[in-house]
Amino acid sequence: MEKLLKKEFCFTALPLTYFFLLFALMTMIPGYPILVGTFFVCMGLFQTFLSAREQNDILYTVLMPVSKADAVKARYLFVICIQMIFFVICAILTLIRMALFAKSSVYLSNPMMNANPIYLGYVLLIFVLFNWIFVNGFWKTAYNAGKPFVLFSIASFVLIGLAETIHHIPGLTWMNTENDGLSLQCLFLMGAIVIYILADYGCIKKSCGSIEKIDL
Amino acid sequence: MTAILEVKALCKKYPAFQLDHVSFSVEQGMIMGLIGRNGAGKTTTMKSMLDLVHPDAGDVLFFGESIREKGNEIRQKIGYASGANQFYIRKKIRDITAMTRAFYDNWDDAEYQKFIKMFGLDEDKKLMELSEGMKVKYSLTTALSHHAQLLILDEPTSGLDPVSREELLEIFQYLAKQETAILFSTHITSDLEKCADAITYLQRGSVIASKAYQDFLKDYPQQHSLEDIMVHLERKPMEFDQE
Repeated sequence: MEKLLKKEFCFTALPLTYFFLLFALMTMIPGYPILVGTFFVCMGLFQTFLSAREQNDILYTVLMPVSKADAVKARYLFVICIQMIFFVICAILTLIRMALFAKSSVYLSNPMMNANPIYLGYVLLIFVLFNWIFVNGFWKTAYNAGKPFVLFSIASFVLIGLAETIHHIPGLTWMNTENDGLSLQCLFLMGAIVIYILADYGCIKKSCGSIEKIDL
Repeated sequence: MTAILEVKALCKKYPAFQLDHVSFSVEQGMIMGLIGRNGAGKTTTMKSMLDLVHPDAGDVLFFGESIREKGNEIRQKIGYASGANQFYIRKKIRDITAMTRAFYDNWDDAEYQKFIKMFGLDEDKKLMELSEGMKVKYSLTTALSHHAQLLILDEPTSGLDPVSREELLEIFQYLAKQETAILFSTHITSDLEKCADAITYLQRGSVIASKAYQDFLKDYPQQHSLEDIMVHLERKPMEFDQE
């Protein structure tokens, strides 16, 4: 698995995927739907899937002494690593915003979502959608990337829309406040972490099953 | 001689085509030609053997073991090259090799360099910059550098000029003398006349003969060459022939 991961990071991955990690900096933008940055990093991962497909990567990999399931797991681990790097950058920036810029007027008057634990929870939920809809969908055929990505795009923008709307609903304003509701926000984040872990486990299992059924 | 590849009653059904109980075996140091018309099932057979396509029935044994159970161990000992499948064509040969060698326990750098020089390959070239013949030679180089005991080659001579084909066939003969077995599919029958020890003939997904090359020729005494036999077996009157 170590060799396969090295292949994914150093050989298969497009530099664009790493470059798109910079979209984590959108976490700090006030007055902007900052969750869109998470969609962009998924788009960077999508580019690597497309490039790998064009380079015949799956055939190259499974013709070597590598099982099909390991090839799928390696790609999943690559995706998860990129997502975690993005998440950690977002988490650091969120901490900086909450600790150093909590009283900043641009954030206090921000009608959009501020970077807070709820935001981090939504980041993970968008990743769950990407892994469940796109990555799983891709491994059903190992070549069809377009349809699963369109479905993921629709689902993620619905979630981003909901996330940006829901904190305006009376009774749910704690989702975007600075002081009140921090414990509830952390609880939301914890829930998202649990969902992310369970979903990844399920996705890997499902995709490993899919690849064994298809003809390459 | 020992059978290092045994294909047993391989079946695979598609809506418009089926492999029907395909069986044959390849022995150590043997060059076997897998022949048949376009669409006869040569590539499907090879892909089924390599577990890339899931056969509906049958079994494939490499070195006496099933590829479905011992895939990783078997792939350490076999090499596959295809004229159609090219991997990472935009990367330099040097980089592809650096990645590929990591996966083989018995990768031999000295052997790799020997074939790189023998084939005149430039490692700083991208795969896409190589001619078709050089691409096949590079595939062979990687297969031989991990001491593959069996080479499975899907139409390796398609698209090659006569000189490159001749060179490749000489390489096959050299490898066979080193006890490497070669199974190669082709519809260019003249290639087989120069080097094949045995023939497996596929017609519409079924094996109609799998035997020593000379024995196969003896079955068709009225035909002068393998090409004549193939035309005799496959030719159907066209509409304008009947007019």
